[in-house]
Amino acid sequence: MTSFISGNTIFLAFISTLCSADVITMGQFMIYRPIFCAPLLGFFMGDVSIGLWIGMIVEMIWINAAPIGIAVPIDVSILGILSTFWMCKYFKGLHEAAIWGLVLAVPFAYLYRLVDIFGRDFNTKLMHWIERRVQNGEYRYINIGIFVGVFFFIVKTFLFYVFSMIVGGWIYRFIYLELPTFVLKGFQKAWYLLPVCGFGMVMFNFRKIKRLFKH
Amino acid sequence: MPGVNDVNNNMGFKMIKIYFSMFIKTFFIQALWNYERLQNVGFLFILKPFLCKVYSDDDKRKEAFLRHMGFFNTHPYMASLIIAIVANMEKELSKCKRGGKKSDVNSVKNIMEGPLAAIGDSFFGGTLRYLVAFVSIFILFLFVNLFGNKFIAYNFWIPLVFIFFYNVVHIPVRFLLMFMGFKFNMEKNIFLLSSFKFMFLGKILYCSEVIVVIGALILYFKFLFFGSLNTRLFGNDVCDILIYSVLFVLSIFVSWKFSAVFLFYSTIFVCVGISCLGI
Repeated sequence: MTSFISGNTIFLAFISTLCSADVITMGQFMIYRPIFCAPLLGFFMGDVSIGLWIGMIVEMIWINAAPIGIAVPIDVSILGILSTFWMCKYFKGLHEAAIWGLVLAVPFAYLYRLVDIFGRDFNTKLMHWIERRVQNGEYRYINIGIFVGVFFFIVKTFLFYVFSMIVGGWIYRFIYLELPTFVLKGFQKAWYLLPVCGFGMVMFNFRKIKRLFKH
Repeated sequence: MPGVNDVNNNMGFKMIKIYFSMFIKTFFIQALWNYERLQNVGFLFILKPFLCKVYSDDDKRKEAFLRHMGFFNTHPYMASLIIAIVANMEKELSKCKRGGKKSDVNSVKNIMEGPLAAIGDSFFGGTLRYLVAFVSIFILFLFVNLFGNKFIAYNFWIPLVFIFFYNVVHIPVRFLLMFMGFKFNMEKNIFLLSSFKFMFLGKILYCSEVIVVIGALILYFKFLFFGSLNTRLFGNDVCDILIYSVLFVLSIFVSWKFSAVFLFYSTIFVCVGISCLGI
């Protein structure tokens, strides 16, 4: 059963989509945070520990990456999910492979940010369509609009995950096998050094929170 | 023939159903988030069953729906309170035969959305999430120190702790804010909100957060230097301690001037550079 799930990219892409939908579309239960979604993927792929460590690194370094107002930061769930997926699928248990996954996941997170902005623009058009319907007294189109918005989000995120898990996986595996030894050794060191940087980022953020409460 | 009490009970039951559906729908407030008016459709989606119920006149109902198509943006958790207050105002408006003061509804929305967004962002986004995440990370390092490689048997609890402690605060707060909004009038709600010690609570959480982070940091260094990680990453103890300490201080300054992505890639670059030098 575990091998069937870990090999089933479509299923894992769907689970990842549900996690990413939590960012704004539904709930905000924080299942999109990497400390939860990376171990979740790790659980399905048979290695919770590595997923947890990746999630912890991403959570600390990108601790202040949350959509506030009109700001659209990179989706941190993508970083945790993609790196855990690639590592567990191709080089299970290797710390350097997990760090290489993180290195490669950042450009994918930026790519997704563009897709997300496109989706929010599409929502504006949908909102105008709903407004015209409401002017005609057709209120059921509010529900239909919300359903279409959620559906469109899920479809675009799902397709993105399928694309990045498969195409990104090829790139990931191909480049990793060509990496020189000293780079891999550097990644091994980064596995233990990145949490230290995460603590540095958190210490810096304390200053910002304190300023928030002063006002 | 049903009595007056039966009719009232049925009405009450129907309203409870509507309130409950409104509460469930608050989880979808940002489902149609757009750059032009942000959460407006989500707001209307939540309010829709209530407006359909209280307005029997078609023209008045349409006017009410169009009134809420305007810009709306606040913290998604705090929106419950504004929605409930606006629903109460709409109920009063629906009873007025001469129309009442319709502009008041939008004024209340505009006045409340900014301050509530600030409270929500600093309390939930800036304090509670950090605290709960670091409680989980603290537990992770505690398990690593206590059980070594055997912590694999317990690791699935850590993300569950994060989700549980966050949502055990978040969901009741959403529910209570909606309940407060429906139960009391606007003046009473503002009084209750202003008398609630957000600053005091925030400071307590902030202090706990500092303690938890420092605890997690100590546990992590204990794991690195005295724990199951026997191999020294940079040759010997002194070199390791020196590099870790310098990196920790440097990362605080890098975070100050640059983005998280820069911090991440520069750390990787430094690690690869050190390996290239053969250290």
